[in-house]
Amino acid sequence: MTAYIIKRVLAILPTLFFVLAISFFAVRFIPGDPASVLLGDMATTQQVERLKAELGLDRPVLVQFGKYIVRVFQGDFGQSIIYHLPVGRLIWSRTETTASLAVFTMVIILCLGLPAGVLAAVKPNTLLDQSFLVIVLCGASFPTFWFGLLVMMAFAVALRWFPTSGFVSILGTGNLANLRYLVLPAVTLGFSNSALLARMTRASMLEVLGEDYVSTARSKGLRERTVVLKHAFRNAAIPILTIVLFTFAGLLAGTAITETVFALPGIGLLLVQSVMQRDYPCIQAVMVVVAFLYLFISLVTDITYALLDPRIHYGE
Amino acid sequence: MSVLRELTKYVLRSKTGRVGLALFIFVCLAGILAPIVAPHANDLHVPNRLQPPNMANLFGTDHFGRDVFGRVLHGAWLSLITGLLVSSISATAGIFIGMTSAYFPLFGSFSMRFVDALMAFPTLILALILMAIVGHASFANVLIALSVAYTPRMARLVYGLTLRIREFDYVESARAVGVNHMRILTHHFIPNLVSPVVVQATLVCAFTILGAAALDFLGVGVPPYIPSWGAMVGEGRQYIGIAPWLTLFPGIGIFTLVLGLNLLGDALRDALDPRLKKLL
Repeated sequence: MTAYIIKRVLAILPTLFFVLAISFFAVRFIPGDPASVLLGDMATTQQVERLKAELGLDRPVLVQFGKYIVRVFQGDFGQSIIYHLPVGRLIWSRTETTASLAVFTMVIILCLGLPAGVLAAVKPNTLLDQSFLVIVLCGASFPTFWFGLLVMMAFAVALRWFPTSGFVSILGTGNLANLRYLVLPAVTLGFSNSALLARMTRASMLEVLGEDYVSTARSKGLRERTVVLKHAFRNAAIPILTIVLFTFAGLLAGTAITETVFALPGIGLLLVQSVMQRDYPCIQAVMVVVAFLYLFISLVTDITYALLDPRIHYGE
Repeated sequence: MSVLRELTKYVLRSKTGRVGLALFIFVCLAGILAPIVAPHANDLHVPNRLQPPNMANLFGTDHFGRDVFGRVLHGAWLSLITGLLVSSISATAGIFIGMTSAYFPLFGSFSMRFVDALMAFPTLILALILMAIVGHASFANVLIALSVAYTPRMARLVYGLTLRIREFDYVESARAVGVNHMRILTHHFIPNLVSPVVVQATLVCAFTILGAAALDFLGVGVPPYIPSWGAMVGEGRQYIGIAPWLTLFPGIGIFTLVLGLNLLGDALRDALDPRLKKLL
């Protein structure tokens, strides 16, 4: 097992290298050099040259790339052009919002997707099954920004049940009632992201429900509930878990649009603002953080998969 | 091609497939009829601004007094063309990259790591960053950004399929009796690849339309003079309290088209060989 984990970690290294290369060269390809962008239009050539030397921009590209990799692993992403703060700190200050939103959304996705998938599989090709399919597909077909606006109009503007936008820290104030800021964004994101989970749950449940041991369980006279939940669902859980983890990884990063609509100060909104205002160090840092997180979660998924499923060989 | 005829037959057989196809054709018709039904949709009538839906303006008018109905019809074009072009470009590039990587393992071990790295960035974020890199908002740049963002998924799919098809007994037999590379490629690989790639392309088309609309909504997509559903929702957002029709109708447009494509993709996927299904 240890050998398998080591192998998986090593296998991720080349991908990690490419992630760093993409984030480094992506910013290099942007027209104009960072030094002039940092100093603005009013800077003299001498000032630009001095800053270039300070930032190491006059060195060969490969040397710069090497230094960049070292800095990333030290957690140093440079200064934000717009906020004049270390980018690492900036991202850290936005983490609570995005993380709470992602967790809240995940709860909604689980509450929607799992029961829908299980029920649809128990009664395949019935009206219930097809209605779930249609609802879930509708969810996946709504543009999130539009659905978010509609939800906001209905529940925040017309009914006044929830705040329209913004966020007040829960960890900072210790006030759980601030979760109300996240209800509408989480519903928006959750509804549009439940489709994959519902579909995978249905597919893997259908596969398992056709197995011999399920028939055996039934013929023993067990209640249908027990058969479905204890015998079938547990065995269908592994592929479902994979989807749950990947959906979560996607959420942490995919909140950009929702955060923009509801003006939630999270990492997604930070990225959108950085792109609008050409805050390159910030764009670069968010790219690296998001991709690292994704790779980390996929690594965790692979390892849990191997731990949970004895059929997977990890000896070779 | 016979594979495509087969797929169409399956789509027409399933209920979801028929509904999906109907929605898709409906949106195409809206786009085709736009110049005839609403030739003056982009004309400004500022005194007539923010009128609620009425007989003259079925969907009301926007903040410049333009007819929202006409603009929604015209907006169909942009979404359709963006979706179709991006899915064809990423399918072509994906087939090329995926097959060469599977054929030449040394190149594959390098290129697939690069593809993995690209896939570590969520597609919309990747497209957003690419828009920042290419500099200015234009239709061509949106196409480039979205194609680059969606090609890795296609390449991964084709790579996996090619590795699998190579192991099929009849492909090995063909190679054993000395059939040349070109013939194996055209007679065994391509027909086996077509259906899964078409299914994936349908879904990519749906995602692309949502993605392009999101870029337009954020204001980094196509320039403002092109009628775009995403941009219309974005502009309407400021007036959502007093003129909700500005936001509502373009959104319904996006929803209709994307739902149609999703239903279509779903029906196609169900029609596929169950062994290949898992890869999608």
